[in-house]
Amino acid sequence: MTTPDETAAPQAGGADAVVLTRVSKFYGDVAAVDDLTLTVRRGEFLSLLGPSGCGKTTTLRMVAGFEHPDTGDVLVDGQSVLGVPPHRRNVNTVFQAYALFPHMSVAENVAYGLEQKRTPKADIRTKVAEALDMVQMRGYAGRRPAQLSGGQQQRVALARALVNRPSVLLLDEPLGALDRQLREEMQVELKLLQTRLGISFVFVTHDQGEALSMSDRIAIMREGRVEQLGDADTIYSSPASAYVAGFVGQQNFLDGRAGDDGAVDTDLGPLRSTRPSDVRPGQRVRVAVRPEFVDLVAEQPPGTSENTVRGTVIGVAHQGETRQFLVDAGHGHTLLVRRPTPASPRLAVGDTGWCRWRADDVHVFPHDGAHSAPPPTSVPDQRAG
Amino acid sequence: MPEAAPAAPPSRLRLPRFALALPAGLWLVVFFVVPIATIVWFSFGYKPGLFGTHANDVLSLERYRETFSSTFFATFRNTLWVGVAGTALCLLVGMPAAYWMAVKAPARRRGLLIALVMVPYWTNFLVRTIGWQVILAPQGWLSGLLQSLHLTSGPLDILYTRTAVLIGVVYNYLPLMILPLFVAFDRVGEPLREASKDLGATRWRTFTRVTLPLARPGIVAGTVLVFIPLMGDYVTATVLGGARGNMVGQLVASQFQTAQNWALGSAMAVVLILVIAVTVGVFAALAWLVGRPLRARHRLVLEEVP
Repeated sequence: MTTPDETAAPQAGGADAVVLTRVSKFYGDVAAVDDLTLTVRRGEFLSLLGPSGCGKTTTLRMVAGFEHPDTGDVLVDGQSVLGVPPHRRNVNTVFQAYALFPHMSVAENVAYGLEQKRTPKADIRTKVAEALDMVQMRGYAGRRPAQLSGGQQQRVALARALVNRPSVLLLDEPLGALDRQLREEMQVELKLLQTRLGISFVFVTHDQGEALSMSDRIAIMREGRVEQLGDADTIYSSPASAYVAGFVGQQNFLDGRAGDDGAVDTDLGPLRSTRPSDVRPGQRVRVAVRPEFVDLVAEQPPGTSENTVRGTVIGVAHQGETRQFLVDAGHGHTLLVRRPTPASPRLAVGDTGWCRWRADDVHVFPHDGAHSAPPPTSVPDQRAG
Repeated sequence: MPEAAPAAPPSRLRLPRFALALPAGLWLVVFFVVPIATIVWFSFGYKPGLFGTHANDVLSLERYRETFSSTFFATFRNTLWVGVAGTALCLLVGMPAAYWMAVKAPARRRGLLIALVMVPYWTNFLVRTIGWQVILAPQGWLSGLLQSLHLTSGPLDILYTRTAVLIGVVYNYLPLMILPLFVAFDRVGEPLREASKDLGATRWRTFTRVTLPLARPGIVAGTVLVFIPLMGDYVTATVLGGARGNMVGQLVASQFQTAQNWALGSAMAVVLILVIAVTVGVFAALAWLVGRPLRARHRLVLEEVP
């Protein structure tokens, strides 16, 4: 992928690309977006990650101008865009189903936005060619969208949006319709493209893998709010709530009651966390330990019984570089353990083993009253989450 | 016997693929092709004496010469005027209505709206048209209302004119225009309109560059669906047109029923068919010619990459 035109978007001085300030959007009595405040920095790749119905698409559509917030303000390039119709916003969107114009050729689709700006025909020609080169679709310029595969349509949609050099590019689950291999390729390309062009991308997805692999920052959304905003490392290693902890990666959750000094009393015995936490002694808490931080051994480990649980192996799945164990720990709890294959214990279904983990890997969250996901009953596919 | 070869599957009757189209095809041949051929054949004949209706033993183009007499020609001009103006009015009235139904109206009301468009069809065509006779009559309530509001100085003078026929045909054929247009606008879909606006197009540009071109098949269907039956309309012209709003359909009918001159009636019918075909062709060519510079303006062909 090469582009002759490396000069990129930053036009409006130092202002952030998009700022949402205390934005709310109601459908009837239901708040789709609830008092949301979010800043998209210039040139960053920001993902809005959350389950369907969490308000991420509504947020995107308010930036694009297709929905209007009931309260709050939306700024693009430091200017409020409230009341500005979509066609006058310096924002472009890659739609979920691409929305290419079926009666126009690939080149005409890409030229459409430039035509609206009354760009001279010679410039249109150069820019369209560049944009199609950028997504490696130059050879398909004369085709109709119906003659292209899903991945090719995706690239054309991307070129059609980027050729306008928007302040921010909005992407609404654009990879959802592609098969897995193509999706992974496109993730890499999208990130490369974004880095080179320096245009801010806001990427809406419910796929944590997509968000983790591409984003500079991720906003985890829940019920119309941002639950946590941070880079992939922070979200993964220091989740702000049990919800975030459960949404990104996999977790073993245990409910219990907090004691002193990070101690937690659970059904499965005493646990201890050395991580900072704002829970008070006596409070109901939820404890999270990732499967990859749990060790499984055949012999009872010596020393303290804290952070150690005895159980029966009820499932083993070989997944190439890792091996996953499902351990029945009694009291209706199962624990998921993921070990690198060379270091994994030689345990089979029916064997007794001890699960243990370091106090540094134990996250303790205030119990938010929500039900945790039911404990797994079979070994889940590591890549499915 | 264990060694026996497995029995061949019972051979089934295999119908050729076009079998599905056979009933409709047969129907068309018997009830469309044969009658049209008969009409064409009859048009070369003559009326044998006062009490005969038709004879074909001497073939001539005499009936076609008679067809182009001045009365018939005037009626033809009249029919063409009503046909083109009526279709244009249906398009003008039906397009915004269909657009509103497909794009602006709440989605859950669309079924109801379509049903409402069809409401006039619950009544007989003739009865509906006679209803207009009552409304447009010089002594009718509309005439009285307009006079009492001092909008007209005398009684309404519309009934038994071309205007009355025009009002009648627009009313009678409007649903045939709205339904295909609705389907066409509906199929364009919200995402494409949003994409257009997202790329900087105003609402009007979105309509002319995206919605309208994609709805073209529906516009063509609606126009043809209205224009063709309208040109041959006989009931509306008879009920509302009188002597001043004559249409070819009436003339053809009177040759068959009153004058008992089947040969002349057939010739008129054939000319009507040809005029309809030529008019549709001319308008298609015009539409293509008008659209050509527009298409050229937006065409973008990149040179081949080496």
